[in-house]
Amino acid sequence: MFSLVSGIIGIVAALTIIVLIRRDHLHVRYGLWWIAVAAAFVVLGFFPQTIDWLAPKLGVSYGPVLALTLGLTIFVIKVLTSDIARSRNEARIVRLVQRVAMLEAELQALRDRDAGREPSGPPTGQASRFGDADGN
Amino acid sequence: MSRDRDWRTRRCVVVIPAFNEQRDIATVVREVRRVSGFPVLVVDDCSTDDTVRLARTAGAEVIPLSQQLGAWGAIQTGLRHACRRGYRFALTMDADGQHEAAWIERLFEPVIKGEADVSIGCCVRRGSRLRKVAWILLKAASGLKMEDITSGFRVYNRRAMELLSNREATLLEYQDVGVLVLLRNAGLHLVDVDVTMLPRTSGTSRVYHSWLVVAYYMAHTLLLGFSKRRVRR
Repeated sequence: MFSLVSGIIGIVAALTIIVLIRRDHLHVRYGLWWIAVAAAFVVLGFFPQTIDWLAPKLGVSYGPVLALTLGLTIFVIKVLTSDIARSRNEARIVRLVQRVAMLEAELQALRDRDAGREPSGPPTGQASRFGDADGN
Repeated sequence: MSRDRDWRTRRCVVVIPAFNEQRDIATVVREVRRVSGFPVLVVDDCSTDDTVRLARTAGAEVIPLSQQLGAWGAIQTGLRHACRRGYRFALTMDADGQHEAAWIERLFEPVIKGEADVSIGCCVRRGSRLRKVAWILLKAASGLKMEDITSGFRVYNRRAMELLSNREATLLEYQDVGVLVLLRNAGLHLVDVDVTMLPRTSGTSRVYHSWLVVAYYMAHTLLLGFSKRRVRR
């Protein structure tokens, strides 16, 4: 019974992922990972003896414990790496927002100068290595 | 005393982060311009009131953020802009009138004379008992020795401005411990300058307005300060 249920879960998961990629809700890069997870479900679901064969070799006496431990570990690693990626993305967004704001201010200063108004800051800037060189 | 008058002619800029500060912003900008004569950059953190217009009318250049980045995100924008514009010194201060323009010259002094890379206007008296306990904890975790680690009334020289414009500083959420630790770890010299500060007249502190926010702030800053401690070899 166990084998059938988790095998079906794997198949449903794989199908869902393909649909998500089809509808552009999921980047193919991440889809690959989730397909691999679904595949693991299918293998362990339909062939639970795999884990029973592997467990004693790793010194674990009860197979399902190995499956759960491995699953949990991989899950934690995945969540951690996705938080790392999120931090990087946040930094990117912040720097982009800053860059846009600086350009807007620059544009306003040029407009003020064209209109003959005195801009409040002297726009005698020399571009520094920060800003331009760092990409955003 | 021509050297003393020098400070006005140096390439200095004043950076003021502002979020819904229509009540005080114009006064603050005018006062800074009157006292120092420096150009003022107001970084608007998505205000929904009249802050931008009032700041412009008072003579400030406004950098409008399209997404809210918080006080430090706004200050970093100002510092990046100042770097690109070629300014050599930047002063940061609050928009709510807590920091008095009269102290600007005193704050610039050690940095312009080259005695320090960063000077921090410190007002230890302003803290409540609870805030002092928080300071002690934060200092213990981070190993910082500044008197007033949360003060946003500071002067940075070019080296500090460039360092703080870096990507590394972008992920910081607050301008206090994270920024100071970054500066210290880069070997910059920081000094305290005693100043007086006025009580806040409008708005509320971004940090100290709800217990949940305080708890998050403390946990966040303790972890940050501790993780970034300099490791002795």
